[in-house]
Amino acid sequence: MKRIAVRNLRLCTKDCLCLYVCPNGATDTEDSIIDKDKCIGCGVCADACPSKAISMVIQDYPPQQKKKESVVNAINRLAENKAKEEKAARQIASSTTDNNLRRLMNAVARSSRLVAEDLLREGGYMLPQSSNSLDLLASLIAAPPSDEFPMKAANEILSTIECNDRTGRGKYRCTVCFTEFEEEDDGEKPSCPMCHAEGKALEKL
Amino acid sequence: MKYICSVCGYVYDEDSEKIPFTELPDDWTCPMCKAPKSLFESEEETEAPEIREIEESDDMEQLSPGVLAALFSNLARGAQKQYKTRESELFSEIAGYFTAASPSLPEADPEMIKELTENDLTILYRNLNDIASSAADRGALRVKVWGEKVTKIVNAIGSRYIREGGDFLSSTEIWVCSICGFVYIGDTPPAICPVCKVPDWKFDRIEGGT
Repeated sequence: MKRIAVRNLRLCTKDCLCLYVCPNGATDTEDSIIDKDKCIGCGVCADACPSKAISMVIQDYPPQQKKKESVVNAINRLAENKAKEEKAARQIASSTTDNNLRRLMNAVARSSRLVAEDLLREGGYMLPQSSNSLDLLASLIAAPPSDEFPMKAANEILSTIECNDRTGRGKYRCTVCFTEFEEEDDGEKPSCPMCHAEGKALEKL
Repeated sequence: MKYICSVCGYVYDEDSEKIPFTELPDDWTCPMCKAPKSLFESEEETEAPEIREIEESDDMEQLSPGVLAALFSNLARGAQKQYKTRESELFSEIAGYFTAASPSLPEADPEMIKELTENDLTILYRNLNDIASSAADRGALRVKVWGEKVTKIVNAIGSRYIREGGDFLSSTEIWVCSICGFVYIGDTPPAICPVCKVPDWKFDRIEGGT
């Protein structure tokens, strides 16, 4: 599992042992942020840090567990109500002159949003890189709800985030004829389209 | 007899207290999370409230703009936790679009918040509880427990506002736990969140501006 080191500045006490042990100079930066292009994920800095200020952040997340449709429906129903509560609270807050009511409604709007976020997280939208999240974005791009929909933002996300749970479609290199190819989505074992080599002759990319 | 706070689990044990629970004043609140007396349940109280059926609707597949706003602000948070700063900003932009696109409600007043949260508690959370239990879905049960507790507190505070006006908020602060949404009224936030147990620095002080 690919990992990179990230420093928590809240905890860093500048003992600088990370600097001393890093085999690649990734922690040697002017802005205290570990250079993620240099980090090779060995974790030695995290082990050496006396303040436990460095953690190894996972880069390849496993897929989120599948949810039953009935559970997702029950969750979405609640999320709809929470969204309504948030909207009502926002409307009250923006129309009242009573500062106490405005504060209370700001709190309700924030609270409802947080509860809805938590529900949707459980309902299958935990990870930005899941096919759930990316398919939703793709469907919004295909049929934008209005002209104001931020197409550029949605497209940029799709082009930068790689999906973590799409099945099939592995990329292979054939060690016999060196052809690189993408697996067909037909349930068959991958085989080289040039020389038909299979199994151990193929190297997964 | 013992009485247990249904929000944070605080136990009022009559054997070690001077005053019987029923004789506590109506405005008595939980010493831990400030839930009102009405949210306490006696130890023996086990009667399961009647479950109301909810109508099945087919349009659940279409998520409303308000839900999409929360969905994308959640992904912005997810991206941020993975140190994907740029993607987090982009998700926030999409969330902002849906927040603005959420259609106005014809009428909104504190009474409406009270009714909606009551509907959550009497129908929707029970429904989720039954479905998640039969599916043995621990994650869904967890989100049910947190959300239900937060909804109870929001409903209780909203009801209090409707009953007695906003004076009880005048000279104190309102805090919201940035993880679970628990709402707390007091000069300083609780040391740990009574619902999700994060430390006090995870609480946000709510300002009056919009």
